[in-house]
Amino acid sequence: MKKCERKFKLNSSGQLLIVAALAIAILISSTTIYVYELSKETKGTDALSISNFALALKQSTKNTVMSSLANVSNGGEKAVLTINLNGFSRVLRSLNLFGICHLAFTPLNNSNYDGGVRLSWNASDVGISSAYANFTLNVYGQTAEIAVGYAINVTTSIAVNGSYTALESGEKLVNLTCKMFNEGEPALAKNITLFYENLGNWTLVDASNNLSIVDYGNGVYSITFTVKITSDVVPVSVHVHDLRDIFVKANTTCYKT
Amino acid sequence: MKSQNKGQIRIIEAFLAVLIIFSSFAVSANLTVTQNTTKHDDLASVGLQALMKLDSDGSLGGYIDDGNWTALRAALNLVLSAGVCFNLTVYNEQMQQVNTAVISNGGFSSQEISFVEYVCASRGVVFRCYIIHLQLAVAT
Repeated sequence: MKKCERKFKLNSSGQLLIVAALAIAILISSTTIYVYELSKETKGTDALSISNFALALKQSTKNTVMSSLANVSNGGEKAVLTINLNGFSRVLRSLNLFGICHLAFTPLNNSNYDGGVRLSWNASDVGISSAYANFTLNVYGQTAEIAVGYAINVTTSIAVNGSYTALESGEKLVNLTCKMFNEGEPALAKNITLFYENLGNWTLVDASNNLSIVDYGNGVYSITFTVKITSDVVPVSVHVHDLRDIFVKANTTCYKT
Repeated sequence: MKSQNKGQIRIIEAFLAVLIIFSSFAVSANLTVTQNTTKHDDLASVGLQALMKLDSDGSLGGYIDDGNWTALRAALNLVLSAGVCFNLTVYNEQMQQVNTAVISNGGFSSQEISFVEYVCASRGVVFRCYIIHLQLAVAT
């Protein structure tokens, strides 16, 4: 009996080894899969970092367009937008943290935009300063690649309307409402300058005209001033800089109420 | 012959036991490295988010344009979490250092330093582009 048991033990020791080897193989395989899954998570983090980096670059692109529009609207050349974006793109190419960065852009050209810039200051009651360009950002990273297409639109606009009432002194009291917008949203102005037209000359409105500007804090400005002119209508020009230093102006004609 | 086989089996068993122990060591080491990398990425992400937050209203470019390094240091101190050490260097397009003062909140005592590279375009009428290098570490 003992002999038989001993024989069985000896015979089964090889099988036990195979079972043990299988168990170890399963253990190693499952550990390898676990480690592989973890490394995949790390690659996901890399992709997330590149996404954040792309978002940061998008913000910087917007700043570049803002700076260009501020320049152009204050008397700069329209080509400034392209020059600045080329400069920005050149700087991006010198970065190497995430790999190779390439930014391509196309300034909008249509009936309103010329070289990505629109300065519409002559339409009655409304003034628009805008810049628009389409971008394609490619980041070729070591662990992830990203390609993003986006458009940047920077627009400062004002809407002006007003009227006047004749005073007993012979002066005219002009009441204006000026609404300011950045990208269609109410925005604040940095400064507002007013002119009125008298005998073909544009005259600055200042303290001598009892100028009063009420800021409602929501992009709406109520403006009053007095003028001493003989014409039946008062043409007014409103010049505004927004908080981004982008200039815009609009003309309106005030009639008697 | 049987006793010879028995000896070989013992050797194989011993070999397998050693293999199991070493493989567990190897796996643990790999896991530790992965976790460290994740922490490293988190800190870099925090730094990038902080710079983006400062740049969202143009104040980052404004401080650099004005050379207001004290205000920039104070702003970073506010935006970054407490316990995060930073050291910021500003370069122009030609990679020449722009900041004339050290923009940092203290010495780095940690071994692990995260690095963030950021391009800041100022919103001023005259366009300027800066490359910002931000080094971050958790204070120990």
